Amino acid sequence: MTLLDVQGLSKSFGGLQAIEDLSVSVDEGELVGVMGPNGAGKSTFFNLISGVIQPDGGRVSFDGEDVTGDTPESLARDGLVRTFQHTRELETMTVRDNVRLAAPDQPGERTLPALLRTGSMQDREETVRERADELIEAFEIDHLADEYSSNLSGGQRKLLELARALMLDPDLLLLDEPFAGVNPTLTKEIAERIQDLNDEGMTVVVIEHELETLTALVDRLVVLEQGRLLVEGDPDDVLADERVIEAYLGGDVE
Amino acid sequence: MSLASRLPSGDGDRALVAGVVLVAVGALFALTPLQTTLPGAFYVFIEVGTLFAIYGMLVIGLDLQYGHTGLVNFGHVVFFAAGAYTVAMLAAESPFAGIGLGLPWPAALLAAVIVAGVLGAAVGTTSIRLRDDFLAIATLATAEIFHSLFVAFQTIFGGNVGIGSIPQPVGDLVTDTDTAMTANILLLGGVMLVTLAAVTRLTSAPYGRVLRAIRADDLVTRSVGKSVFTYKMQAFVYGAALAGFAGGLFALYNGAIAPGYFTIQVTVTVWIGMLLGGAANHRAVLGGLAVIMGLRLLSRFALDVAPVSSSAFASIRLIVVGLILVAVIRYRPAGIWGDAKELGVDT
Repeated sequence: MTLLDVQGLSKSFGGLQAIEDLSVSVDEGELVGVMGPNGAGKSTFFNLISGVIQPDGGRVSFDGEDVTGDTPESLARDGLVRTFQHTRELETMTVRDNVRLAAPDQPGERTLPALLRTGSMQDREETVRERADELIEAFEIDHLADEYSSNLSGGQRKLLELARALMLDPDLLLLDEPFAGVNPTLTKEIAERIQDLNDEGMTVVVIEHELETLTALVDRLVVLEQGRLLVEGDPDDVLADERVIEAYLGGDVE
Repeated sequence: MSLASRLPSGDGDRALVAGVVLVAVGALFALTPLQTTLPGAFYVFIEVGTLFAIYGMLVIGLDLQYGHTGLVNFGHVVFFAAGAYTVAMLAAESPFAGIGLGLPWPAALLAAVIVAGVLGAAVGTTSIRLRDDFLAIATLATAEIFHSLFVAFQTIFGGNVGIGSIPQPVGDLVTDTDTAMTANILLLGGVMLVTLAAVTRLTSAPYGRVLRAIRADDLVTRSVGKSVFTYKMQAFVYGAALAGFAGGLFALYNGAIAPGYFTIQVTVTVWIGMLLGGAANHRAVLGGLAVIMGLRLLSRFALDVAPVSSSAFASIRLIVVGLILVAVIRYRPAGIWGDAKELGVDT
């Protein structure tokens, strides 16, 4: 079943056509990689799907519903969760609070239950804490749980961001360069985590420059070039494709 | 780390208990024949202390907006003034200037909270969605506009003279000045502690976690499913309504109001108090406010012994306050009791 369906998406910034008539769909349970040279529109593509910026035209459907132009917060609540290319930690909060924050359906995030300190808020918070600690432990950052996230290294930040995203129990997880600036050991580890999540049934879309890791990981590759879909298909076929090689190596040099 | 360790903080509960006790003792002085006699030298301390209780509510509200949520409000005084003028116009009985409806004071106080909250909502709706610094400009402008309106519309707001004949619930019950002063400081101090308890409950609950996340990064907070705009509006309106409440209480305590009480000086005082103490920490901002107000008090005494004219002395006082602020920003950028990591400042 199609989980994410993007039809004829386009977006321009001033004179620059960042995304042009792009149609991509992702099936439930798929693990899809998005690649393309710098400036191909990968991050813009994610920003458009996740509601961070509004498309000029086209349609985005998620789980059978039209979500074009929905806000990031409502999409996150619907189960479409993303991470950012340049990790965005809440640096003035501890690792623990970073993860706990993402918990959905916490009545204590409304004024009255917070003021009255209701039982439902406290019960929910207890579950949230347990779940957050589980995730922090699973990602092996438990020794940093009480550190402010500004003290984390690049790789640790990627792990934290992943843990925080998982707190929302997403149906579709969009990862923007999860291996960027991460050492090879950790890259392998993050790739394994993504694989595990996908094996458990989560649909994942990954943007990545790190081609080797990406092609080994994903079921299907989508290649963008200058805002358009260049090729899509089986990773090995895509990498062998002339057009992809040309786009990456710069075919005709003048 | 136990599960309950970070949820409801003990601070809030202690403030609540202390607040209720103070209100009860204050009521005892106001309602029973019980009397106090204060030495004359004490008056000035009681007066400043009472004002501290009222400004305390302002700084708590401002800290909810700025310290916790990151909203820059440079016009906090306008909500304080809105509350005070609402109480004055609704509760005053035939004042010498302006209008007075002579309504019962509790109704007027409730209206003060609502008016300030609505004003906050109006400013917030127009400015919060914009870039951060626009809110700062909009609030500053709103405060200046209202200040001019209060002065200009003499038949409505009483112009520079202001509005008098506001009922003084304590002063009307107790004729003896010393007892009234004691009752006032206890009651207002108690009410301030109760509001501190309420705001502490908000900020120590998951609600406060969302606010601090917004302060750190809007977009991340949105992308984990929180309606950032709603939270910003709420924090802004709650702070405004609390300032309105403080303004209403001020009018009822003072019995008369005038634009002179609601200058930009009020905003500056609570901002300096907050930054001096350390934003995002309720006790710290109250401590900072105490330092800055204590300094004012101290300088009153210093004036008597200083070999300069009072106008020169006023300038010296400003210089001293400025130097202290510079020193704090240089050596303790998160404030005296503030947490540098929590506020994301380099030390």
